[in-house]
Amino acid sequence: MTPILELKNISKAFGPVKVLTGVDFDLYAGEVHALMGENGAGKSTMIRIASGDHRADEGEIRLDGEPRRFAGPREAQAEGIAVVHQELLLFPALSVAENVFLGHQPKTAGGFVDWARMRREARELLDRLDCPNLDVDQRVSKLSVADRQRVEIARALSRNARVLIMDEPTAALAEADVRRLLEVIRRLRADGVGIVYVSHRMNEIFEIADRVTVLRDGRSIGTSKVADVTEGSLVSMMVGRDIHQLFPKVDIPRGETRLEVSGLSLAGVIEDISFDLHAGEILGIAGLVGSGRTELAQTIFGVTPATAGEIRVDGAPRRIASVRDAIAAGIAYVPEDRGLHGLVRPQPLRENVSMAILDRLTRYAVVDTGREQRLASEAIERFSIRARDARQRVGQLSGGNQQKVVLAKWLATDPKVLILDEPTRGIDIGAKTEIHRLMGELARKGLAILMISSELPEVLGMSDRILVMREGRLSAIVDRKDATPDSVGAAMMQTRREPAAAGGAR
Amino acid sequence: MTRILIRHEAILGILFAVALFVMAAQSDRFLTTANLLNQARLMTEVGLIAIPMTFVIVTGGIDLSVGSILGLCAILVGVFWQNAGLPLPAAIGLSLLAGTAAGFANGLIITRFRVPPLIATLATLALYRGLAEGISQARSVRGYPEWFAVLGRGEFLGIPTQLWLFALVALAGIFLLRFTAFGRTTYAIGNSEAAAEFSGLPVERTKLLIYTASGFVSALAAIVFVSRVSTTRSDMGNGIELEVITAVVLGGTSIFGGRGMVIGTLIGLCLMQILQNGLSLSGVRGDGTTVVIGAVLIVAVLISNILGRFSND
Amino acid sequence: MSRRSFHAVSSLGQEILLVVVILALFAFVGAVNPRFVSENNLTSIFVGNAYIAVAAIGMSLVIVSGNIDVSIGALIGVLAVISGLLVTSGYPIWVAWLAPLLIGSAINALVGCLIAFARVPSIIATLAMLSILSGGLITFTGGRWISGLPAGYQLAQFRLLGVPSPVWFMVGMTIVAALLMRYTAFGRSVYAVGSNPEAARASGISPSSVVVRVFAIHGAIAGVAAVLFATQLQVIQSTTPVGLELVIITASVVGGVSILGGVGTVVGSTLAAILFAAIGSSLIFLNVSAYWLRAVQGVLILATVLADMARRRRTG
Repeated sequence: MTPILELKNISKAFGPVKVLTGVDFDLYAGEVHALMGENGAGKSTMIRIASGDHRADEGEIRLDGEPRRFAGPREAQAEGIAVVHQELLLFPALSVAENVFLGHQPKTAGGFVDWARMRREARELLDRLDCPNLDVDQRVSKLSVADRQRVEIARALSRNARVLIMDEPTAALAEADVRRLLEVIRRLRADGVGIVYVSHRMNEIFEIADRVTVLRDGRSIGTSKVADVTEGSLVSMMVGRDIHQLFPKVDIPRGETRLEVSGLSLAGVIEDISFDLHAGEILGIAGLVGSGRTELAQTIFGVTPATAGEIRVDGAPRRIASVRDAIAAGIAYVPEDRGLHGLVRPQPLRENVSMAILDRLTRYAVVDTGREQRLASEAIERFSIRARDARQRVGQLSGGNQQKVVLAKWLATDPKVLILDEPTRGIDIGAKTEIHRLMGELARKGLAILMISSELPEVLGMSDRILVMREGRLSAIVDRKDATPDSVGAAMMQTRREPAAAGGAR
Repeated sequence: MTRILIRHEAILGILFAVALFVMAAQSDRFLTTANLLNQARLMTEVGLIAIPMTFVIVTGGIDLSVGSILGLCAILVGVFWQNAGLPLPAAIGLSLLAGTAAGFANGLIITRFRVPPLIATLATLALYRGLAEGISQARSVRGYPEWFAVLGRGEFLGIPTQLWLFALVALAGIFLLRFTAFGRTTYAIGNSEAAAEFSGLPVERTKLLIYTASGFVSALAAIVFVSRVSTTRSDMGNGIELEVITAVVLGGTSIFGGRGMVIGTLIGLCLMQILQNGLSLSGVRGDGTTVVIGAVLIVAVLISNILGRFSND
Repeated sequence: MSRRSFHAVSSLGQEILLVVVILALFAFVGAVNPRFVSENNLTSIFVGNAYIAVAAIGMSLVIVSGNIDVSIGALIGVLAVISGLLVTSGYPIWVAWLAPLLIGSAINALVGCLIAFARVPSIIATLAMLSILSGGLITFTGGRWISGLPAGYQLAQFRLLGVPSPVWFMVGMTIVAALLMRYTAFGRSVYAVGSNPEAARASGISPSSVVVRVFAIHGAIAGVAAVLFATQLQVIQSTTPVGLELVIITASVVGGVSILGGVGTVVGSTLAAILFAAIGSSLIFLNVSAYWLRAVQGVLILATVLADMARRRRTG
């Protein structure tokens, strides 16, 4: 049997950066082939090449054994290759039916858009995806993430996709929605669709995938039947090292209490969160995307002020109604989305590093650029930021160096509590290790660190204690010695709903 | 960032030099002190408003209502003075206050109600102009005392009086945008409002202040205008917002925000003014010059776009 | 079912609201002064303002596609003068009627190219066009009005079945545009590009070509508006009313077209244009000085915008 899709010896470089080197991948009809690898391993680039968005520098793509070249996504779509993007490329202002069929609407004999047929066919596709409750006339902006994803899958199916590439489809889904999605994938597989399934989540891979290919640093490390691998062997294939080597965790005696959070709530988002955080401690926060981790961090940081509860820093209660209040209380927050919230990318490194302490750097309203320059030079040296000089625009730096700039910016505020939201997302292994080492160093100096991460190995490897969140609530606090992928994973996933808790919920 | 700015300003500088040269060759009346000073006098009202407009556009916003505020404040000077019988200085003070309030209202609509600036100021453009028309009932006010004309037609140390005022506002603008935390915040808002907010910068307050300043300076321009022409009419300042925006954008300020300098705006203003003046001296009728300005605007943006594509982002 | 659910998707709320406000206005002013609803006055309201409603159709397309055009007033002025000059210099009347459509379309297609391919933001490109067109117009005509128009040229003064032709144009073009926007792939791609250009590209739509076509259509519609404007009187003014572009943009926005792109219908903008015209006329019949007109319009725009923001915040 010939595979429907075959990538042979694919290489791709962006400028001097080699992203893929001689990667092979194949996909048969009626198969789920998982693609795994750490952030930056080259998965996204591979997907983009397979879907015609990028062109490979070397190697070839075969469809049903025939070599093909795609000039753009449109040609790949015409051949039945569809991608369900992680960021969900939809039209928020338009209806569900329209989103499904945009670009290839059914037409009447006169060449006009046949709305009746479009709505009917959208309905059929959604029924096939087992979502009878999704209204085809609803505006997409009003849908939940899970429903938007179904719309995007329906869109792929409306083009008669034979190859469906799903880029971390469960990253933003609650457990019940994950179940439904896996069910849909099983049906599509039974219908003969070939599915490329990109995910970090081991349990999903073992549940749904037939084969798995691991990428590391732009190379394919190996392809195996899922039945032939274990979680442990997959992890070591992905990282190339043992977890303990990977995370340079240092043991630091727990200091006095820095941050106490009690009964913290943000109406409708997070509910009744209480914990404390000590000097020298790294407290990891685990949970699914959408479990309220980032929302908790942003509530403590004053972006979305709490609607109930108390925050104490060094024992003193602080009213945090804005970011300024949080900074004044000694709290710093390195956000998840560096490009959007962390940095002003078109501005120089120097101006970014000073941004959070601008009022401390001014005399009679004038910015003391001399001090600013010194601050920036020190930061470049201390964090070994690879930049031309302090005047270089941060947008031009690599992901890892950008993250170091964000860290430098927040450490300049001299915080007592440092919140790190996905501190190593999208940066290469080298920079990742550096940031982990830095975290240990900061903890040793008495900083209290709260770290949110979607990568379970990172949470397990770096944290002294792990705070697990689920559906806006605290579901468990696990000690380092008790923390295993199973114990933490279980706390993340449970879907029990005690009737008693439901009463207090809404 | 500075590189691109310098490039854009270099282009402008060259354009400016070429225009000067061509105009001087066309007419020997052009390059005279008397003519240049007079041109500067005519430029002042647009120039004044262009300073806060630079801030507005750097934040990624726009203020279309400045011409209407100018009209409204001009009318109010006349109404307070002639109809309400207040002393002229008091009338001027109240009019400045009204302009400031109008700008503050713009700021509130934009920051509190999150209405996009284009729409918010489009609405207040109609509203303020409508108030000017309604209050004045198309009657003009004349007969201002002699001393009042000093501002618009007089001289101080051999230089038109209003130029001193303009220089003051321009210097304040340069200082604020370039050297202060306020200016830094302005750029940060224009480049990434979310990041500015996450860095604890006072985003709302800064925007509110900028739109308020825009209203205040528009009122100031109204006073200069009334003094210069010695009369108040409700259609004063009609369409001035487009001239102002043209000058600012011509001066290298990105309409998307985050980039721009007051110096650039000043060069843009001078370029516009000498083009107008030079063309009219060489026989092109007044409105023909606006054609050239429009063309220059497109060319300037095109060139900076092309250069922007070559500079690595 | 189909109709009902279409309503749920479109911004029909705004349109119903506008109809209610228009009817209420006519009822109220008519009760105070019955001459307001006389045929004579209704005719003058529609005939004098239909060109604004027509131009607002094209503007709505432009705004839905995520752009804006501030040069429309000047363009209408230029096209009206071109039409007048053609007919007074002996060209057949039909040429004078059709040429503005083609010329308007060509000019705006060029503007569309500047926006789509040279990446000049639409507000800048059209701001520059405003300078060029308005300056060029006054320089060329010297502000003189065009008179001596031949008989049979006054398209806007014709009547069909007793209804003045501008009303036919306004209603007909609104219906056609509404149908095209809803039932053609092109119409839907305008919404797609305005809503999310990135996703549009991923769906195989070329945002650049959509923008150029939108501007070309907008230019042709401006040509129709210009002919209606030019032929309503016995002379052609060489200037358009001050702030015409803002009235047209406002009609679109008040009609429910979101300035952020991707949302809105042409029916709403036409209704809003009618409402504005009616307000202007009603002031006279209520014995309010016409000089308050713009202030009233300003309050109305502000109220609509604030209500729209509040509604959007509620529904998310």
